Amino acid sequence: MTGLADLTRIGLRWQPSGRAGFTGPLLALADDLDETFRSLAARWNAAEERHPAALPADLLDRLGYLESFPQQATFPVGLAPVEDDLGHRVAADGSVVLTRQAPVTEVLTPAACYHLYAAHEGETLTGPLYLTTRNTCFRQERRCEPLRRQRSFTMREIVCLGAEAETAAFLSQARQWADDLARLMGLPVSWAPATDPFFRPRTSPGYLMQRLQPSKHELLYADGLALGSVNLHRTHFGEAFGITRDGAPVSSACVAFGLERWMYAVADRHGADPANWPAREAAA
Amino acid sequence: MLSEPEIRTNLRAWVRRKSAADLGADFGDGTPLFEGGLLRSIHVPELVLVLERLRGAPIDVEALAPCDFQDVDTMIGRFFA
Repeated sequence: MTGLADLTRIGLRWQPSGRAGFTGPLLALADDLDETFRSLAARWNAAEERHPAALPADLLDRLGYLESFPQQATFPVGLAPVEDDLGHRVAADGSVVLTRQAPVTEVLTPAACYHLYAAHEGETLTGPLYLTTRNTCFRQERRCEPLRRQRSFTMREIVCLGAEAETAAFLSQARQWADDLARLMGLPVSWAPATDPFFRPRTSPGYLMQRLQPSKHELLYADGLALGSVNLHRTHFGEAFGITRDGAPVSSACVAFGLERWMYAVADRHGADPANWPAREAAA
Repeated sequence: MLSEPEIRTNLRAWVRRKSAADLGADFGDGTPLFEGGLLRSIHVPELVLVLERLRGAPIDVEALAPCDFQDVDTMIGRFFA
């Protein structure tokens, strides 16, 4: 199952632009899944944080995001605050014909965890720091499919900032617990090394280093859909944001869960009747 | 086509030019380049181009594997065998 009609019947409100809304059983499933991921975060006593929908463009530029993934960036655009320029109209194809745009200074959140590193800029840590956050993430996908690939989707992340050994232990534990969670929910999964979709990969230091020193592993559902990933950043964010430990930039790592993709996997594996879905209590 | 000793000399000279570290006499063909902190990720694209120029053939970056750039010895075995 998991066709659009089935998903709509259990609460999907799909926009052809590649965005999903939820009601009824699917909304309850989304909440249950996030609560389950939060219970994983609680095992590290990860502190919950809440951040806005956008990041300053210059901040993402410092991280090399706009150079590495320009094809995925989504920008909030406003009209220039000049009265004569505030007129606009919607064309027959649904596009808005803008007059003059205000300067674009922000990027809609591409990954939830970026906010966490920025929020702790300049801090000196005395021990490992565990954080968790959830955000709506935006990426310019060419082809969209409900719950599987969307232009906006929900990402829950758990992050560890600390010594190299602490981030390595965190990732090892995260993989084990994500495995356990999928198994308890009856989802067949496997792990595979992965690379991010870098722009011009042949000349991208980030892509080439991911080939040479695998730092990203994806949790794949039976049909190859990535439900989540574990990522080792080494000192990339520690250096970029001046977060230190014992006088040196901290290492960081994260585990990321795509909520809509877990929803797809549950509905695909267990069918459209919510009565057959695994109970959150069991997974928790 | 350069001889293997010439290729090794070229590679060592390139690493010495690019590395921020002060490479002494103990820098050799078995010295870890990235693990040892001699090179960073920013150097990788240019290193690929250098290797392609030295061997006179393109490198399929999709086929790169962990440790291909471990040290000069490894690169000689991987890209010039």
